[in-house]
Amino acid sequence: MEAMVKKYQQKFKKVKEYIDKWEELQSLLLSQFRSASAIINRLQLIQNSKKYGALKSVDGIGDAIFTKQMNSLQNILLSMNKTLEEFHAVVISLEKIVRDGRQLVKGGGSIQPKVAQLQQRIGIKPSLADCLEGLVQLHDMHRSEYLLKSSVVSALPTITLEPSESDLEALQQLLVDQPNIPKDEVQFIYDIIYAEDIC
Amino acid sequence: MEKTPTCSPSSSRLWRPAAQRNLRNQWANLSSYKHKWASLSSSARSHATSLVNSSLSLRYMDARDLGVLTDLPGIKNKASLKLFKQQELHRSKLLASYKNMVAIVNQMVSAGASMRCFLKGVDNSSILQYSNSALNSTDVGDGGGIPAFTFRSISSFEELAKELIHMFILELNLKRLLVIEFFSISNEDARKDNELSWQDELYSGEFDDLSKCNLYSTEACAPLLPTIKGRKPGKLKLQAEHQPDEDVLQVYLTTWLADVNIDKCRVDEILTSVAEEMNVTLV
Repeated sequence: MEAMVKKYQQKFKKVKEYIDKWEELQSLLLSQFRSASAIINRLQLIQNSKKYGALKSVDGIGDAIFTKQMNSLQNILLSMNKTLEEFHAVVISLEKIVRDGRQLVKGGGSIQPKVAQLQQRIGIKPSLADCLEGLVQLHDMHRSEYLLKSSVVSALPTITLEPSESDLEALQQLLVDQPNIPKDEVQFIYDIIYAEDIC
Repeated sequence: MEKTPTCSPSSSRLWRPAAQRNLRNQWANLSSYKHKWASLSSSARSHATSLVNSSLSLRYMDARDLGVLTDLPGIKNKASLKLFKQQELHRSKLLASYKNMVAIVNQMVSAGASMRCFLKGVDNSSILQYSNSALNSTDVGDGGGIPAFTFRSISSFEELAKELIHMFILELNLKRLLVIEFFSISNEDARKDNELSWQDELYSGEFDDLSKCNLYSTEACAPLLPTIKGRKPGKLKLQAEHQPDEDVLQVYLTTWLADVNIDKCRVDEILTSVAEEMNVTLV
């Protein structure tokens, strides 16, 4: 039993690495989103030839700037999609950990452990059910959050056609908040798994 | 391009290593100038942004409600004075960045003009040396037009360098217009006759620097007008806009950022293709 719990704890350590990777991707995605919305917010302005001041004397400046900005936006959107793919890779890795975790209780054999066995607790050590449940939850949170982020990113091209500063702000807030990954719940899971280290 | 008609196999065998060394150096220089330009341009942009911000604060100072601070004697004057000083600081930093950008473009131009490799010393002498300045009028320094590495001749390298450098030259000129505009917004209260125009030197010696990259017309006694690649040159009515509003300033800053004359993909393409040919990495 104890050995099993140790194995699960190792898995949680691995999950922590993926969560750290997730955080890195999160700040990358946020900065990409900010750059994209800065450009989107400027699009209407740069299409207004009255606002070019002294640049009016430069032939073709408006078109050139618009094209350039659209290209930059396109590039940012491409990199955002790449970032999303990396988020997805994290989700897939978490999924694999869950699968391995399930395999662990089966012990590779065909004998299903009894419910009592799974829920058995030794001292403050987590039960095997706690471990498995924790892994499943962490995977679920990140998968849902990945889906949310995907839909936020896919909303950007539409907003480009009809820029709205408040929509962009709302979407950005959604990205910042990560509503599917409540920090205290994640912490709670880790507190159960590593209860003995906390004491 | 003229070619040296006579170039014996033995002399081209000797010419080649010297020419290759030179080409590698010049392109490595071009690549590093490109990076310097980017970092100068970006710091110039942040100076310009600060300049715009302090100018706008200054402009709206009278209308601003200072809340509890309103009763402090002379508070608005003091704040304005402070903003004014900040403005001066950003202004001089912006000018310094611009000056460095001019210098970088000049270095690009001179790297682009130093692609050739000339025979130094007497023909048929046993010791052959090469340099990048012509000493002999019959030697045009291109090794008779043979490929310097595998495919490209010297003049083909020069063409690519020219194309690359031209983008930066055009962009420099457009940014010059923006610098003048940024200066004039911070100069609203100053005497109008003190205002900068396109024909004025922004720093002493600027016109000499600009002529080195062909941006100065001695005929018109003024810098060439800013142009977008593939478009007609602008009309000569380059007067600073008085009191440009926030939107216009935003367009100016966006224009600074956009680098409209620098086709990044093409720049990378040129550098990659040249690097491949020279068997080096240019980043």
